[in-house]
Amino acid sequence: MAFEPILLRNAGNPAVHEVSGYRKAGGYEALSKALAMEPEEIIDAVKASGLRGRGGAGFPAGLKWSFIPKGSEKAKYLVCNADESEPGTFKDRILIETDPHQLIEGCAICCYAVGASTCYVYIRGEYVAPALTLERAIADAYEHGLLGEDVLGSGFALDMRVHRGAGAYICGEETGMLESLEGRRGQPRIKPPFPAIVGAFAAPTVINNVETLCNVPHIIGRGAEWFKSLGTDERNTGPKVYCISGHVERPGVYEYPIGVTLDDLIAAAGGMYRGRALKAYIPGGASAAILSDEQSGLPMDFDSLAQAGSMLGSAAVVVMDETTCLVRATLRLAKFFAHESCGQCTPCREGTNWSEMILARLEDGRGSESDIDLLQRITTNMSGTALCALADACVGPVRSLVTNFRPEVMQHVEQGCCPLPRQSIFEPGAVS
Amino acid sequence: MPRLTIDGRTVEVEAGTNLIEAAAAAGVQIPHYCYHPRLSIVGQCRMCLVKIEGMPKLQTGCTTQVMKDGMVVLVDDDEVRAAQEGIMEFLLINHPLDCPICDQAGECGLQDYSFKHGQAFSRFEYAEKRTYSGKERIPLGSEVVLNMNRCIQCTRCVRFTEEISRTGELGLFQRGARTEIGVFPGKELSNELSTCVVDICPVGALTSTRFRFAERVWNLDKIPSLCSGCDVGCNITIEHRRGVVRRYKPRTNPAVNDHWMCDFGRSTFGRSAGSRLTVPTVIRDDGRRAAVSWKEALDAAIERLGRAEAEEIAILATGCVTTEEAFLLSRLAEALGTTNKSVLREVDRKREIPNPVGGVSGDEATPNRRGAELAGLHPGDQRLRADELVERDGASQCRVLVIADGDPGSRLHAPEVVERLRRSSSLIVIGWADSPLAAVADIVLPAASHVERDGTFVNSQYRLQRANKAFPSPTGVRSSLAIVGELLGSFKEDWSGLNEQAVFARLAEHVGAFSGLTFDTIPAEGIGLQMVAGGAPDSA
Ligand SMILES: Cc1cc2nc3c(=O)[nH]c(=O)nc-3n(C[C@H](O)[C@H](O)[C@H](O)COP(=O)(O)O)c2cc1C
Ligand code: SF4
Ligand code: SF4
Ligand code: FES
Repeated sequence: MAFEPILLRNAGNPAVHEVSGYRKAGGYEALSKALAMEPEEIIDAVKASGLRGRGGAGFPAGLKWSFIPKGSEKAKYLVCNADESEPGTFKDRILIETDPHQLIEGCAICCYAVGASTCYVYIRGEYVAPALTLERAIADAYEHGLLGEDVLGSGFALDMRVHRGAGAYICGEETGMLESLEGRRGQPRIKPPFPAIVGAFAAPTVINNVETLCNVPHIIGRGAEWFKSLGTDERNTGPKVYCISGHVERPGVYEYPIGVTLDDLIAAAGGMYRGRALKAYIPGGASAAILSDEQSGLPMDFDSLAQAGSMLGSAAVVVMDETTCLVRATLRLAKFFAHESCGQCTPCREGTNWSEMILARLEDGRGSESDIDLLQRITTNMSGTALCALADACVGPVRSLVTNFRPEVMQHVEQGCCPLPRQSIFEPGAVS
Repeated sequence: MPRLTIDGRTVEVEAGTNLIEAAAAAGVQIPHYCYHPRLSIVGQCRMCLVKIEGMPKLQTGCTTQVMKDGMVVLVDDDEVRAAQEGIMEFLLINHPLDCPICDQAGECGLQDYSFKHGQAFSRFEYAEKRTYSGKERIPLGSEVVLNMNRCIQCTRCVRFTEEISRTGELGLFQRGARTEIGVFPGKELSNELSTCVVDICPVGALTSTRFRFAERVWNLDKIPSLCSGCDVGCNITIEHRRGVVRRYKPRTNPAVNDHWMCDFGRSTFGRSAGSRLTVPTVIRDDGRRAAVSWKEALDAAIERLGRAEAEEIAILATGCVTTEEAFLLSRLAEALGTTNKSVLREVDRKREIPNPVGGVSGDEATPNRRGAELAGLHPGDQRLRADELVERDGASQCRVLVIADGDPGSRLHAPEVVERLRRSSSLIVIGWADSPLAAVADIVLPAASHVERDGTFVNSQYRLQRANKAFPSPTGVRSSLAIVGELLGSFKEDWSGLNEQAVFARLAEHVGAFSGLTFDTIPAEGIGLQMVAGGAPDSA
């Protein structure tokens, strides 16, 4: 599939790490253009583009920006979510590593549009290299007057800082992130109030994912109409960076207009690993329901996947071939959620842990058919009852295992063991 | 004020009230664990889920505020019940379920709700229960012990130390199913209110070192009363088993101690258990102390009082007397013609109890010094007033010194003070503790202890409150009111045999600050006394 990358257009051009190189590639023109516009016009353009959040929930970005109270003198903030902790997700890292100024430019435009004068980039603690790359780029941007007291002579002042996390998935949840940013234990806040009204340091705050913000300069530069021309339909627009991992020949990030199919993506990634058959896939990160090979022709966009009972999420596509035990795969996911639950609310603290224990005994062949019903029930009691979406995230894969792949779980029960041979994802020696 | 409907009942509540409180106002209970009216709202336990018309999902009642008219809320609903059962199940899977050996049994939020909102069986296999091994008995400080296995992570205790005591000793550590409560490294739970975390802990995770495993709570009788540890006058429940006080628990009064009381006040629960005076005694002419009948003891007292010159008689009370007792003591002094009648003010460490209206502070060990003064026991400028007697040589000028001693913790029992008071030719003690002072008195009149009598107290806010008798006194002992009444009655016949109500009625007639009040109609939360110009209420 031929597609001229947009967000990843500067990959392979390390010169863009410097302001000069980025400018040479057309960078910061959108910022100049934006600074000449009324903030309201920018928000309208982003609304018109149909850009939806790339962090997981797919919330319309322009609409979110418009919630920030206007005309108040109170401080406002933008917090860029670079926590990227959803298993299978590694696009934000690549976006920052290959083109840090694209993110800085997107952040600056957003801040100008909503009236924020401080932007924090909350970056996953393990991302040491990307954090350093970004910090260097920010310093360079200050030097070139792209950040600071007077951005490009417009009178608009903007401070930008990188804040490194300490390695907790829950700090990617926007309010958990705010708590962490403010120096407290990373655990989500109750909503409402939403961050747009009471966010960082109790001030109105926009929170957007890295990729969401990276799209912004292109929307301003090329216009909302152009942006809308990419994608499946009016509600699913723009380019999308997919992270493909698992049983494919060339795992990695691949950029396409939103709405390509899994089959397209597998083809782009060099086909199934060793030509094996596809068994199932996770379309949007650890919290998405697992879909079967029969659903590989679905457009990978927000609405099509939601309709199929899963989600686009962070577009972390995990491909699993016929050698994969789905009970074991789901167990691994449940283990992750149980480990990452912040523990403050009951259904998640207890439900994730309990799910993990049941899956462990099913995988070991110690489970019974009633465990399958139990998982159904637990996931029902976890969904929609927790304080934040982490509990529902765990429900995604666990519920899909027992509804979409019940026969495979039953095989474990009947045979008293895992019917598939234990193996690591790649056979020893398969990858050199 | 917005109106809303909860399970078909309509109520009107102040805008901003949450659904738990609104439902309570409508007579509907929404089960909850993490919500506490005085702590920040965190929405963590998820027990309070309710259905709100027009909302796609169940909502937590604690976090949902009533802002405008017309909200329709369902608690009595299948979906809500299913959610409650689900949460209960989650809370119970890792809970020990060994209620028979748990100290909280009988006053446990988990036990109560399991009966109402839970299931009769457990799906969890015992072998798999999460335990915090080695954390079954962690002393958090000198007053409180934590058993992590029983904790349901409601964080009430943590929020208490952050928001009420403002000492921040407790925190939440680890995460997920390993989440635990603990003190921050190098700290211990040591603040004046620390035991309140035991009261607000909905389960048996936190226990008081003074009470744990001392008694099953269903064996306790509970009587609303007042703490007499200081002049804040915290409202308490006296919990006793057959006349042995086991503990004090704070009783909610938003105008005074709110939901709290201090550790010191709690520690005084055992005061009445000390060695008691049980029979009247008199030191006979041969210098020997003899147990005598009440009649003989009272006659001896009356005889000495009657013989002495008026100004050689002094009456001294500790600040632990009730207002009614003080009033009779004051009348007794008047009947005898002496102006030497005073109450001892004992200054102590300052104590502060937070409440929603700015808190109450006190710095006296004397819970009713103010009430006693209003009732007529002035410090005034009498020759033989309290400080002259206690700090100086006043007693040597006394022919008869009558001391109403209500408090074993009083300074009156310090050896040097006992020695000074003993300088009076005759010393009459009305009291209940077998104290060093009683040991040297010529006449000892054994009285009911502070938990065995009814009466009123006036705290540091000049709030009049009632203390209640928790149980009868040991046989042979009389109330101070009755004893003073007998003495007074022998000099003024129309003052004999009056009970608390009657004495209070006369007090209200004589003293402006109490006018219009009656003993039986003092509200449960007390009543602020009328202030007159100058700041202090009008007194006798
Ligand atoms: C448990 C949990 C983890 C999350 N982790 C991330 C994350 O790592 N990165 C991210 O961008 N959004 C994450 N989100 C989504 C954020 O809460 C938030 O919706 C998003 O950052 C908003 O940005 P967007 O609108 O641009 O997508 C997470 C959400 C949940 C519930
Ligand atoms: S759902 Fe899980 S992660 Fe979210 S607040 Fe509750 S315990 Fe924490
Ligand atoms: S110890 Fe008690 S009050 Fe503290 S979190 Fe646990 S259950 Fe709640
Ligand atoms: S009382 Fe509402 S969540 Fe705990």
